[in-house]
Amino acid sequence: MATRLPLAICFIFGLVMFLQYFSGHPLARAAYNHILDWWQIIFAFTLLVGVAAFIKSSLRKTQVKKDAPYALIALAGLILMPLLAVIDGTDIDSPFLWAFENMLAPLQATVFSLLAFFVASASFRGFRARSVPAAILLGTALVVLVGRVPLAESISELFPKVTFWIQNYPSMAARRAILIGIGLGSMTTALRVILGIERTYLSGE
Amino acid sequence: MNIGIIIAGVLTLAIYTFLYKDNPVYRAAESLLIGLSIGYALVIFWQTTLMDRLFEPLFGDGELLLIIPLILGLLMFGRFGRKTSWLSRIPIALMIGAGAGVAIPAMLYARTLKQMSASVMPLVTAGGGFDIGGLVVVAGLLSTLAYFYFSREHRGLMGGVARVGTWFLMIFFGATFGYTVMSRLSTLIGRVDFLLTDFLHILS
Amino acid sequence: MERLKIRWIIFAGLLLVVVVSYLIDFRFGSRPSPQVQKCYDYIESLPDSAVVMISFDHEASSLPEIQPIALALLRHAFRKDIKIIGLSLFAEGTAIGYRLLNKVAGEYGKHYGQDYVFLGFKPQYISAILGLGESIRDVFPEDYLGRSLDSLPFMDNIISYEQVAMVISIADGDRTVHWIEYGNARYGQEIMAGLTAAMITSYDPYLASGQLFAVVGGLKGAAEYESLLGQPGKGGRGMLAQTSAHIYVIILIIIGNIIYFRNRSRQGRG
Repeated sequence: MATRLPLAICFIFGLVMFLQYFSGHPLARAAYNHILDWWQIIFAFTLLVGVAAFIKSSLRKTQVKKDAPYALIALAGLILMPLLAVIDGTDIDSPFLWAFENMLAPLQATVFSLLAFFVASASFRGFRARSVPAAILLGTALVVLVGRVPLAESISELFPKVTFWIQNYPSMAARRAILIGIGLGSMTTALRVILGIERTYLSGE
Repeated sequence: MNIGIIIAGVLTLAIYTFLYKDNPVYRAAESLLIGLSIGYALVIFWQTTLMDRLFEPLFGDGELLLIIPLILGLLMFGRFGRKTSWLSRIPIALMIGAGAGVAIPAMLYARTLKQMSASVMPLVTAGGGFDIGGLVVVAGLLSTLAYFYFSREHRGLMGGVARVGTWFLMIFFGATFGYTVMSRLSTLIGRVDFLLTDFLHILS
Repeated sequence: MERLKIRWIIFAGLLLVVVVSYLIDFRFGSRPSPQVQKCYDYIESLPDSAVVMISFDHEASSLPEIQPIALALLRHAFRKDIKIIGLSLFAEGTAIGYRLLNKVAGEYGKHYGQDYVFLGFKPQYISAILGLGESIRDVFPEDYLGRSLDSLPFMDNIISYEQVAMVISIADGDRTVHWIEYGNARYGQEIMAGLTAAMITSYDPYLASGQLFAVVGGLKGAAEYESLLGQPGKGGRGMLAQTSAHIYVIILIIIGNIIYFRNRSRQGRG
């Protein structure tokens, strides 16, 4: 029951969503629209489960002396946003959007901008032309770095032209091969999931 | 001075202390980020999906069929109990099955057939010359696909073609690296703009 | 300790280069790339009754790079009196998109509900993209602020993708891929994108096959679009710093490789 029922549900819904692609019948359309709706709603519940798990884990960390302050700060942040939304909604001048704009967005953007420093450091320490493929990689990266700055364009039109040629032909060809491979693999995996051969989503089956 | 800008500036500098080394100020800012992100997502998910698509239609407009996704959604909480954890597999199976069902035609058409058909192009121009770009695309596509074909050992002709495929892959990774460096630097420039303009008022 | 010192020197060097070059207010003349020109020409060709859907599919982490692109596209659309339906398939894109739409709408005297709407966010993006092809109201019965779509004059004759000329996905990840694979493949909806530079090479095959109409990519793309619009913005402002930082990274790579080959030849001799 614990395994057979989910497998049966996966099979039924997978088959319905696959077959409806080939049918314009009103019943097929209705089933399609309902399933899309249910999928959306159930997905939203996964966040609630995640929030509950986070709260549980953070409360456990508050018992550990060195982690306690950070867990409390995280919980404070978690409570703050819904509290602000309840107080004054989520419209343009609301405290909720203010907190997003002045706390969440700057924090996220700054954490991401740290990568610029690490990329520079990695470029110095790790980016070596050790072999022919590495030299090709390095050479292409240098061409792109040079070709996509306005200074290079001012010097010669050849710089951006070479960059775009590399992007539109050899680089695109390799990416296309990867896409085709992923497409074929994804189709196979989807089929295996529907048929119940692939069961990793059942947590360890 | 705008209190919001001050807070944003202080939090920005707190994160940048990590560049020296990991420290309590950075960890505090990081913890705040995690909490705010989850709290924000909770509000948005609740308001735009659960209220909008479930509770209002179900309890306001009487769309009783929505009891099904409500029950399935509540079954997700089964994973917190050892004896009830299997119940959470049911809504997960619905989502995975539905996703797999719509993915098959999408992957087949968008990633496979359309990409293959776009690769079939004239390699000789009307004037009788070779279309170098087209030749490069076909050569790159076939050699890279040969590289990813692991059912046959990469020796002899196959090995040579796969090696050429490696070179094309290196060109792709190199181009991607170049653009990624560009992207990361742009993000840093944006934060420097904020610090110099809005926070420190050095620039107007 | 030696490694840490080198790291700090590299970090400090990068910060110095970016700060000093950003302090200099110098703008390059940005010649538009073919993709940016294509985006611009398309929006320019739309009649003022056209409806465009703009999806803010990105996180706040990429805001410094993405925001100039979004602002340039929104300014162009509002300048052309094109009607805009905003939405988001990323939670953080919701607040960002709503804020940007209102900001730019205010610049052009546009009114919510008549010239633009913001539908909000839906978490399951595949379901949302497919659902919009059937009925926008089924996916978003209400807008972001909880108003019924039927109460907004703007949405009177807009049912699904059929009334939408173009979907513009402003993304820092693979959401645009899903617009292509589900919106374009299933419903034939034309898709355009505003992307971070890091994502550009991933979308080249879709551009080549015509599944993706055109792309405005990175801060450079934003600078090019601003120059076409004749409206300077953060894109163009950042180009000197971008150039300087690129040169800095190139020098680091060259120095690193010189040191590597010198050490290798010494080891070879020894």
